[in-house]
Amino acid sequence: MVGAGGFVGARLLEMAILGGRADVVPVVRSYKSVARNANLGAPHRIGDAMRAESLERALDGCDAVVNLTTGDPSEIVRTTKNVCAAAVAAGARVLVHLSSATVYGQIERPDLPDDAPPRLDHWMPYARQKGLAENFLRERMADGHLAIVVLRPGLVWGPGSPWVLGPANDLVRGGAYLVGDGSGICNLMYVDDLVRSIHAVVARPVTGFYNVADDETTTWRTFYGALAAGLGVNMNAVHRVSGDRYRAGLHDRLDAVRSLRLYRWLKDRLALETRTALKLRLAELRGGDEPATSGTGSTVVTRTFWDLQTTRCSLPTSLFRATFGHQNRGSFASGLAASLAWLRFIGLDERAFAHELDSQAS
Amino acid sequence: MRPHPRLDLAVVGCGAVVEGLYRGALRKLESRGIVRVAALVDPNAARTAALGRHFRSARAFGAVDEAFAALTPDLVIVASPPGRHAEHAAAAFAAGSNVLCEKPMAASVADAEHMLEAARHSGRVLAVGLVRRMFPSLIEARALLDAGALGDDLRFSYREGLVYSWPVSTDAAFRRATAGGGVLMDFGSHALDFLAALFGTPTVDAYADDAYGGGVETNCRIELAFPRASGVMQLSWSQPLVTGLHVVGSKGELTLQPSRVDSVRWRRSGEAWRTLKGAVAWPTDLRRASEWRTPRSYYDCIHDQLVQALRAVLWGEPVPATGEDGLAVAQVIEACYRHPDPLRIPWLTPEEQAQTQQRHWSVQRSAAA
Repeated sequence: MVGAGGFVGARLLEMAILGGRADVVPVVRSYKSVARNANLGAPHRIGDAMRAESLERALDGCDAVVNLTTGDPSEIVRTTKNVCAAAVAAGARVLVHLSSATVYGQIERPDLPDDAPPRLDHWMPYARQKGLAENFLRERMADGHLAIVVLRPGLVWGPGSPWVLGPANDLVRGGAYLVGDGSGICNLMYVDDLVRSIHAVVARPVTGFYNVADDETTTWRTFYGALAAGLGVNMNAVHRVSGDRYRAGLHDRLDAVRSLRLYRWLKDRLALETRTALKLRLAELRGGDEPATSGTGSTVVTRTFWDLQTTRCSLPTSLFRATFGHQNRGSFASGLAASLAWLRFIGLDERAFAHELDSQAS
Repeated sequence: MRPHPRLDLAVVGCGAVVEGLYRGALRKLESRGIVRVAALVDPNAARTAALGRHFRSARAFGAVDEAFAALTPDLVIVASPPGRHAEHAAAAFAAGSNVLCEKPMAASVADAEHMLEAARHSGRVLAVGLVRRMFPSLIEARALLDAGALGDDLRFSYREGLVYSWPVSTDAAFRRATAGGGVLMDFGSHALDFLAALFGTPTVDAYADDAYGGGVETNCRIELAFPRASGVMQLSWSQPLVTGLHVVGSKGELTLQPSRVDSVRWRRSGEAWRTLKGAVAWPTDLRRASEWRTPRSYYDCIHDQLVQALRAVLWGEPVPATGEDGLAVAQVIEACYRHPDPLRIPWLTPEEQAQTQQRHWSVQRSAAA
């Protein structure tokens, strides 16, 4: 498993160990990524997907390779090529590559075929690069060196997911919003079910592209409503944003600057100490040294969320089920319960603090 | 004539802590002629070479005995893996040097006591890099508590956690043999010392973590009782905890973020929140009549802590965190590790939760015993 230090990788490893499996080899880019799984006591291998030779050593002896790497969009194609080459060099029989439903842009057709080509004109660099990586793998599939399975989940959610933390954080801080009436489709994929899907593919690989998603169709209104109820936040406080068109804001211009090569080049060369001093100075200039008070945060509509919230159709997943069987064990309700338990654990539900103080007092 | 001699420094352990935290402060002090980095010690020659590019007069050594056979630095910064701190500090004291030891001071109480004894025997300074003692926010919060602004019956909740991103150059921090533990040993040392500076010496009422046999804790929860407060501390290397200290008393409450070194928010019951900007200042050089400043960032605090350790060497001034402070932290951590319970991870399935109990390191340790 390449990318074991990420959200999906860490859960895959945890489920494997708690399930009694000893055949999963976690590979991480650098030592810092061992920390997330350090409680498990599992030996990790170091393999940098940006450097082919380091990856070949890390994959030695593995007969299946699962690519869960994330990182800068500019690295996606190269890491995909390196993982694929290293898998072939290691003599693996299967490569499972985690792509993303974002390669389609918004899902606008209910009958979207699983092998539909990615949109290479997508505004988002991540989506474009994921699409280019898919196209590279499409060519390699024809080589027949090993089975290549590309899985395209929607928004991978559950405990630890940024798709849970972001909305929950916005709800608690008062910055949450729904586009239109919130009836856009939230194409969720619960992380545990994604892990089970990966195992099913490894067990019986069939080369190709497959969408994966939860069984239930969930709207954004339902998703936010369920999180809000669990966190004790009034849904009336959720802002409403017009769904007619996206209006670019200051953060889009800042994002554009951040994506410039020159910006990244400069950032990489500045010492952490200098970057910290600059951030501190900028915060002082903005007068933004005060933390947001609960429930009073402002709304920042991002193009990513606007696109997601105006998605009209569910991701079709019948091909995956027909090929690998039905691997989803959870439901929206069970995933939500686990996610809320996690949010309380990390301290996002302020009522939990009050409860804790009461417990101490008693 | 110079108002004070330039002091020679050695750095033992040239990994991420020195690269990320100390390098900038050392360069500033060297460029001002206050110190000279004379030796860089690390078994990994690539690391001493990389750091050496910033300190042209520093000599590289692969081991402490080689370094101390060649020179006697005025101050040795011990930033090796915690399991080696006692050995490296003792070698520095034996050579006649003073020590600023990175946190945690030691991986065990026995090691911490050994270091204290070695410092006493040599008559040298032992300072500990519990840098949060430098935070103006800590001084302000303590002043509020001392003045009774929050009343009595103080209860607190302290959380600190994020998905680990410190650019370590080995996995030494994630192995019990080299680090002594996990997140509790890591920034738990800072957190425990911070709370001790506010509330006094604690006792451990309960401790739970998530380490399996062969692993170290990435999450832990401690119930602590201090002379003037009681509460819960939660730490994580794997979860983005809502980080901060929240103290509630009979008359008011305060909140404090470890990332904001100079401000505290507080309010009397029923009143609006207000922000106190800390004004405590520290010397910035080694002159008797030094310039002083209020640190505004973590890096300022690292710099000023180093200056204060040097002033202790030169003028006998007190250090912000002593060896006794480091020992007190080691005692709390050891008390936690003596009786660890499995931490309940509430989002796992019932079957997984049963497995976490069975695989917990306390169970395996009992079985081995």
